Amino acid sequence: MQSVVGGLLGALLACSVAGAAIAQDAPIKFGKVEAKDFDPATYHNTADAPAVVLCDFGQSRIAGGDEGFYVVFERVTRVLVLNKAGYEQATVRVPLYRRDGQEEKLLNVKGFTYNLVGGKVEKQKLDESGIFREQVDNNRTVGKFTLPSVREGSILEYTYTVKSGFVFNLQDWQFQRDIPVEWSEYRTLIPGFYTYKEIPHGYLPYKWQERKVVSYSTSVRQTVHDSYGSSTGNTNMLTLTCNALNSRWVMEQVPAFREEAYMTTPRDYLAALDFELDKIQWDEKHVQQVTSTWEKISEEMLKDDDFGGYLKERSSLTPAAQALATQVPDPAARAAAAVALVQQAVRYNGETRMYAHTPLKRVLEQKQGTSAELNLLLIRTLRDAGLQANPVLVSTRSHGRIQTEVPLLSQFNYTLAQVSLAPGQDLLLDATNPLLEPGTLPEQCLNGQGRLIGPQGRWVSLLPTQRFLHFTNARLVLDEQGNLSGNVKVEYGGYAGVDERGAVAEHGEKDYVGSWQRRHPDWKLTRSAVQRLEERAKPLLLDLDVHVPGPAATTGQPLYLPVMQLFADVSNPFPQEQRRYPVDFGMAHEYTTTVLVTLPAGYTVEELPAKTLLELPNGDGRFVYEATLQGQTLQLTSRLLLRKAEYQPREYAALRELFTRSLAKHREPLVLRRP
Amino acid sequence: MSMLPAFFSYRRALLGGSLLLSSLLARAGGGDTRWPVDAIPAALRENAHAVIRQQDDILTVKSAGRMVYTVHRVVTVLDEQGEQWGVAGVMYDKLIQFSYLRGAVYDESGKQIRPLRSSDIKDYSAISGFSIYEDNRVRVGDLRQPRYPYTAEFEYEFTSENTLSYPDWQPQDHEHVSLEHATLRVITPPELPLRYLEARLPAGNTVSKSQQGTQQVHSWQLTNLPAVEREPYSPPLDEQLPAVYVAPTAFEVQGYRGTLSSWKEFGKWDYDLNQGRSELTPETTAKVAELVKGLSDPRQKAQKIYEHLQNSTRYVSIQLGIGGYQTFPATTVATNGYGDCKALSNYCMALLRSAGVPSYCALVGAGEQNVGMRTDFPSNQFNHMILCVPLPKDTVWLECTSQQQAFGYMGSFTGGRHALLLTPEGGKLVRTPRYGATLNRQLRRADVQIDEQGHGRATVRTTSTGLQQDDLAQRLHSLTADEQRQYAYKQLALPAVTIEQSNWQADHRGAIPAVTERLTLALPSYAARTGRRLFLTPNLLNRSSAPAPRVGARQTPLQLLMPFTDADTIRYQVPVGYKPESVPAPVKLSTAFGSYEAQVQVLPDGTVQYIRRLQMNGGRYEAAQYEAYEDFRQRISKADRAQLVLVRPES
Repeated sequence: MQSVVGGLLGALLACSVAGAAIAQDAPIKFGKVEAKDFDPATYHNTADAPAVVLCDFGQSRIAGGDEGFYVVFERVTRVLVLNKAGYEQATVRVPLYRRDGQEEKLLNVKGFTYNLVGGKVEKQKLDESGIFREQVDNNRTVGKFTLPSVREGSILEYTYTVKSGFVFNLQDWQFQRDIPVEWSEYRTLIPGFYTYKEIPHGYLPYKWQERKVVSYSTSVRQTVHDSYGSSTGNTNMLTLTCNALNSRWVMEQVPAFREEAYMTTPRDYLAALDFELDKIQWDEKHVQQVTSTWEKISEEMLKDDDFGGYLKERSSLTPAAQALATQVPDPAARAAAAVALVQQAVRYNGETRMYAHTPLKRVLEQKQGTSAELNLLLIRTLRDAGLQANPVLVSTRSHGRIQTEVPLLSQFNYTLAQVSLAPGQDLLLDATNPLLEPGTLPEQCLNGQGRLIGPQGRWVSLLPTQRFLHFTNARLVLDEQGNLSGNVKVEYGGYAGVDERGAVAEHGEKDYVGSWQRRHPDWKLTRSAVQRLEERAKPLLLDLDVHVPGPAATTGQPLYLPVMQLFADVSNPFPQEQRRYPVDFGMAHEYTTTVLVTLPAGYTVEELPAKTLLELPNGDGRFVYEATLQGQTLQLTSRLLLRKAEYQPREYAALRELFTRSLAKHREPLVLRRP
Repeated sequence: MSMLPAFFSYRRALLGGSLLLSSLLARAGGGDTRWPVDAIPAALRENAHAVIRQQDDILTVKSAGRMVYTVHRVVTVLDEQGEQWGVAGVMYDKLIQFSYLRGAVYDESGKQIRPLRSSDIKDYSAISGFSIYEDNRVRVGDLRQPRYPYTAEFEYEFTSENTLSYPDWQPQDHEHVSLEHATLRVITPPELPLRYLEARLPAGNTVSKSQQGTQQVHSWQLTNLPAVEREPYSPPLDEQLPAVYVAPTAFEVQGYRGTLSSWKEFGKWDYDLNQGRSELTPETTAKVAELVKGLSDPRQKAQKIYEHLQNSTRYVSIQLGIGGYQTFPATTVATNGYGDCKALSNYCMALLRSAGVPSYCALVGAGEQNVGMRTDFPSNQFNHMILCVPLPKDTVWLECTSQQQAFGYMGSFTGGRHALLLTPEGGKLVRTPRYGATLNRQLRRADVQIDEQGHGRATVRTTSTGLQQDDLAQRLHSLTADEQRQYAYKQLALPAVTIEQSNWQADHRGAIPAVTERLTLALPSYAARTGRRLFLTPNLLNRSSAPAPRVGARQTPLQLLMPFTDADTIRYQVPVGYKPESVPAPVKLSTAFGSYEAQVQVLPDGTVQYIRRLQMNGGRYEAAQYEAYEDFRQRISKADRAQLVLVRPES
């Protein structure tokens, strides 16, 4: 909660006389539903939809109260249920936050279900018994209610108020949902002494976006202090009158949001508006910048006990780290040693955080911590090892893209470690995943840019330093019964190596090979070995001796040999014809398969698959396939390259075709003649 | 199979030995070493991710309405895959008072690393996903370590005022976990003799009885059980591992007393608990009269009323204290238009009664994992309620929580098992209908045109009935058309396909529900082309894969869950001038597990016709038969992938 500072009186003086304000009519009147509202034909984008939001209207205003200022958020929502799959709209969840004894309060919950019976609107009220509170954990509560008598064709309507002392966090507004929205409107009323930054998301246009200055008045209770600054136990009621900014955003006929494969997070695509308190200004002389510049953010982060404070503490790893300074002269190798030191001491508990939560001492004692705790400890350890290390703030892919021009801390949710190896040469490190080679970022962190926190704050590229590499190399011998046998080496490099090592760690080597076998039902594995599990810098190697029984031989007929189909590990990730949003692979990909087949003496080739070369515009990807015969040895090579991490919707058709064609090519058999 | 949302709303043994996060606790660890890892016998490390070193469970029945449960568990976690055993979770609710959770963690040598502090323990809401409100919570202690092996010791206790269910005892209930030593002690007062059922206990491990003052003590122990691995198509692990089931003779929940030495008594308690809650208002009674006006056949009346129920109510689960067993009054459901399984069954029963059709609420263990029931051991083995309508010719069962289910159809969720009818005379155990291979059909007909490039275009019509339509019907009702299409893409499992048109329709007119799917597909390069040949797999959409190769001899019985029949007829128009060069030979297999037939014919007009029929009988088979089953599946898989080769004459 933002406490009322001593400048209240000043604020009073700073406020000028309000200008005339014409209140815009609310787009919805709670409780007023007419028979004509039930006709689905009057709404848009409703084909296939289980329900449609007729109107979603939210208003946030700042109001004074007994203990300072509050954000009061009121919502009225009306939904038409089109079929039974839309019943879930009748249960509403309102997340509420609490911290340090303060909590957001859910008030004035009211709801109606309207049914059209014989041309007349029947109305049933939400009963108190249908309202619940669930305490999720120490910081989170969910208010829930469920509306009565819901049927196909019902109109659901509810309203509620959330009163929050956390003025830094004005309620965000989401215009788009997984069902179509006919009208979505958000208004804010912010007195002049607060300024919020707005962060828009998504691709949809506003129907209206307007602001005006209006007069504003509110009352605040303030504790009276004596001339020595002690509380007298008395309170004063102050009435404040000043200007306020009245803003309004409207979207209409918003289509339902559908998730597609290879997206970062729906947040990056959904039409929404977020807010963050930017500054507080009681008068011209007293401006409190809450968020302002990246430099200030950096300064404050470094002062924070749970961030910079963490870096100041000596840890139980300090002596070992200091020893590294002399033991390992090469800085990159030393950094890797420091990562190993942290990983041996502390286990990642799976929680993604930007700030530490538990004191360093406790983390080391419990031997487990959040991503922030591990990586802040890593930074300290790197420094102890004599390296120049700094924190880098990151927004993970599931948290969303960042906007570098908006200096807001809430854009980030993760902390990485950075080491300067040479001017302009950053090594980014993360201690959460022991399977990652130091310098390779977790896939979740491949998300644009990160902000280096330190005296020389700057943006750091989070582009992948590795690709996703999948190599298969097979040497097979064909016998006269049509059986193939030989050796297959599959290498998983870069991010493919990270994935596969993760799978081995999760399921064990035996199950890992077992699941591989299940995906290749034609293969009999006579020997299998998973190699280089610990050598993270090298590709993981799956070394297999295989036997593939041939088809029952029929004399006089050619022998059809679907060799490359045995290695068709890739399936088409893009069945959909259309794409609305970019395809975000995170990194470049390469799949290469080379197969050598030795034919028995006297066998001849009747037909070989034709050579193929397909290329995406600008060389952003290609597929090459070639089959050649040299003496009695056939060589088949297939290579699929995707050079970019992200492809735009206009490139989608070509990308999809590349996959389709490469898969088809893999299915072409060789046609051989026996002597 | 069944994807029906879990409509469980009948409170089951919460305290069960199968707490998800595993349970546990410890005598405060001293400075000396305990539980050194090298003391674990080699046989127990084999194939294990964790070893339960010691588990001691004590159930003390204080009175008919109160019991205390204490658990002490010491588990050595050998590797990352065993790390769930480094965490302990204790479930509690309004009727369960949590007393303490203590613990400590030890390194490989057995030296204590640290004790579990109260600040390490977190408290979470544990509402199941399908409920809007329950009072369930969980306390979680986390002692996981970055390095393996380590040993986690936990000790906890809770007092429960819900004595209807005593916790089951099955200390080894996971794959890849071995057990060194476990004990169970149940202490009961003389007036509340214990009922128990021993299952699969090794020889010599049966009960030993003793006295502790006036109290009677039943004890069991298990030692040195090596880790097990669940084989494919085997019965659930809890039906394979040693267990002791215990139950009260008399119990009391929030003042409601009952006895439990027979199904009759259990049923009576539940019936009485819900007595007087099925009154209807005159308005509702009038509404029913109007609904069934002109109908005399009780079956028709029941159907009309069931459809009304489906159109005017929905499932909302709210579970609190005795509310886990006791229904909301019928009038509440009439007003709110929602309720849980008990409330909706009770409401439907009231509507039927008002129309002169008698019916009974019935408890059932819903879901695939609850098909098996210990019928000879009356106890609370239920998690759901349905309605049974006995009619002169047959009996109709109604799933009152579903707004879409066909009248009288139970599906894999509640079909083919026992249910306990709640009648004024008490409980009666009866069987629910089983759906056999001829009812669970999937009939497919497709016409495919292949062009010279090998590209295909197909129109496919697939009608699924019975258990084969359960998932489809569920998706049809809960997903948008767009989501259904996306799901269909996954199901198609073709390397390249575009769904050009799609349509799904449910049909409830027959004796068994059906869903018909119509698809128009573009199949780029469906036939692979090399030079002048086209390679075509005639089995368009129903290729079955063989089970994973077996390592060593089969140990456990083979269990095939759903009996079914699939029939596919696919016709291919191939490009002019192409002649078959190689046609797969017909395959015909007949085994104890089922039968299979597939044949490819080139019709006089050049059309290629593929006919496949697979019938699987379902059921349980001896382990020794597994090899034959594997062979059957491998032959099917091979036949399903057979290719037809067409060749264009050299020009």
